[in-house]
Amino acid sequence: MEQIGTVRSLCPQCLAKIEGVKYVEDGKVYIMKNCADHGNFINLVSEDVNHYLQMEECFDVDRAKARSPLTETQRGCPFDCGLCPSHKQDTCLAVVEVTDRCNMKCTYCFANSSMDESLDPDMDTIRLMFETVKKCQNEPTCIQISGGEPTIRNDLPEIIRMGKEIGINHIELNTNGIRIASDQNYFDRIAAAGVDAIYLGFDGVSDDVYMQRTGRKMLDVKTEVINRCEKAGIGVVLVPLVAKGYNLHEVGSIIDFAAKRVPAVRGVHFQPVFHSGRSPSDMKDKVTILELLQEIEKQTNRQLKVSNFTPALMPHAHCGATCLTLIDNGGYLPLTNVSLGAVKSASDVASKTKKSIMGRWKGLEKDSNSGSSCGDLLIKSSCCEKPLSSLTVKGSCCEKPLIDILPKNSGSGKDKSGGWADFIEMSKNNYLTISTMAFQDAWSYEQDRVENCCIHVVTRDGRFIPFCNYNMTDCNGNSLYRNAT
Amino acid sequence: MDIKITEELNNTLKDNGFKTEEIKELIANAESSGQKLKAREGDISIAKGGSDNLTVYAVYSPSELLDVYAHKMNILGLTGGELNEIDYDDASEWACAKCGEIALERNVDMTYMGVTRPGPGLVCPKCNEFYVSDGVARTLKTAEAILEEKRA
Repeated sequence: MEQIGTVRSLCPQCLAKIEGVKYVEDGKVYIMKNCADHGNFINLVSEDVNHYLQMEECFDVDRAKARSPLTETQRGCPFDCGLCPSHKQDTCLAVVEVTDRCNMKCTYCFANSSMDESLDPDMDTIRLMFETVKKCQNEPTCIQISGGEPTIRNDLPEIIRMGKEIGINHIELNTNGIRIASDQNYFDRIAAAGVDAIYLGFDGVSDDVYMQRTGRKMLDVKTEVINRCEKAGIGVVLVPLVAKGYNLHEVGSIIDFAAKRVPAVRGVHFQPVFHSGRSPSDMKDKVTILELLQEIEKQTNRQLKVSNFTPALMPHAHCGATCLTLIDNGGYLPLTNVSLGAVKSASDVASKTKKSIMGRWKGLEKDSNSGSSCGDLLIKSSCCEKPLSSLTVKGSCCEKPLIDILPKNSGSGKDKSGGWADFIEMSKNNYLTISTMAFQDAWSYEQDRVENCCIHVVTRDGRFIPFCNYNMTDCNGNSLYRNAT
Repeated sequence: MDIKITEELNNTLKDNGFKTEEIKELIANAESSGQKLKAREGDISIAKGGSDNLTVYAVYSPSELLDVYAHKMNILGLTGGELNEIDYDDASEWACAKCGEIALERNVDMTYMGVTRPGPGLVCPKCNEFYVSDGVARTLKTAEAILEEKRA
């Protein structure tokens, strides 16, 4: 056992602040912590210390603090959220929960939603939440409308419209898709209100998986949501919760499914199970980031490898990993690779992540001249791959710089498909972002990670609470924040 | 060899980060070694040079520099590994100045930031030298930019 660091964490029993160590045993990374009242807790972090350290080396971002803290630092992290001045990171995505109600009863649910009567925030409260985001978050502002199941509210289109009027730049909707798939008129109103992307719960490509978690078949529902979004030009991100004994065996099929629906589907965002809120009690379902990536590698026949996933776009090296891949005739052509080293960029993590959320996960730009960056510089079609010999490089032509002389006809028949011109064409829209974010529970909790968190839940009284803190519950289901706010 | 560079081209060179002296040296090397492509009709040559990370091409007549372009991609070699039989006329309008062979239009594998794909090249079958036209180089530049941007 070799110690490689210390951690500031929480007791899973009483949520008291406790200290612990990070150590390596048989090449695996663990956190061990001790509570004076409740004893020792050990949590597996990674199956491979080399991969763990490589992710740290590859992670290099500049940080930007929130524009203004809203609370004082008194008891210390994680008890002063609002954000407090010691929080190191601005918001990249503000989560606004518009209801606690839900039309499903999933076995797993960090939000612990139910159909119990509860008071939804009224329009004035939601306005305050939106305005808080506009006031505190650096531009551009990104919001995810969440819940509960937001589409349970009939006034959701008005909520989205209000957000847009307040000037929120990007609004995505977190949904199980049931209402969108069954109520075209409702969906049309959401689309007309200006929703930018649909963040669709998508745990698998077989109904067996959905039956397990939700007790009903859902694949047709999910497919219909994608169909409708495709028609409306709204991008979809598929969001699978991942757990062992549940759907870990389908991660490759999920990516394949997404690839077939690109560009309507912009990304797959895997969320390994974490034990906050409602979940089956034993811990055997947990999946580490590396374990997930290894499964992806295996199930995509090594087309997407563990090494294609980098910690870019994450608040912390160990919060997740991202791979950007082109879809090439049904296969994958990953563009990211951890061996290429740290990504050097002047932009801070939140703005980079925002760019990702807004750009890659948004629907296709309706106007192909706006939007996608360098893909637009394109040389039209593949004509420019014609060899120089077809340019008349003789006599009079040379008065002009050669660069102005372009062949008129494209494609001599010699250009093989799969060349660099195709690559550029493909890059415009045929790419998929595959990411994973490992949310923290009381067992895996590291204060260093949460202090750098950029995904913040907005409370009804207008504060920001890092996502993992907001949802944190002890082993008996008592919340640190969720029910207390 | 004293080569004239128009003001317009000189500005283009500056804008693209090419140094006039380096281009002149590149041409001088090609002239002394003979390693260049020469138009089969006319008096135009293509010389190449640069480093591992950047291949620079100069297109010139005996009196004037006509164009300069570059790519960051690394040419690995012929797609498929060897000069296979093909069913089309692949003779280009260029010849290798060193050995006199007609340069062939063949796909070559080019790699950048971990991605390898074929693209049309001009190949001297005898010297096993590879050249890229300005049009292809522009396609490559766009692809390079995409790879650089998508990584960030």
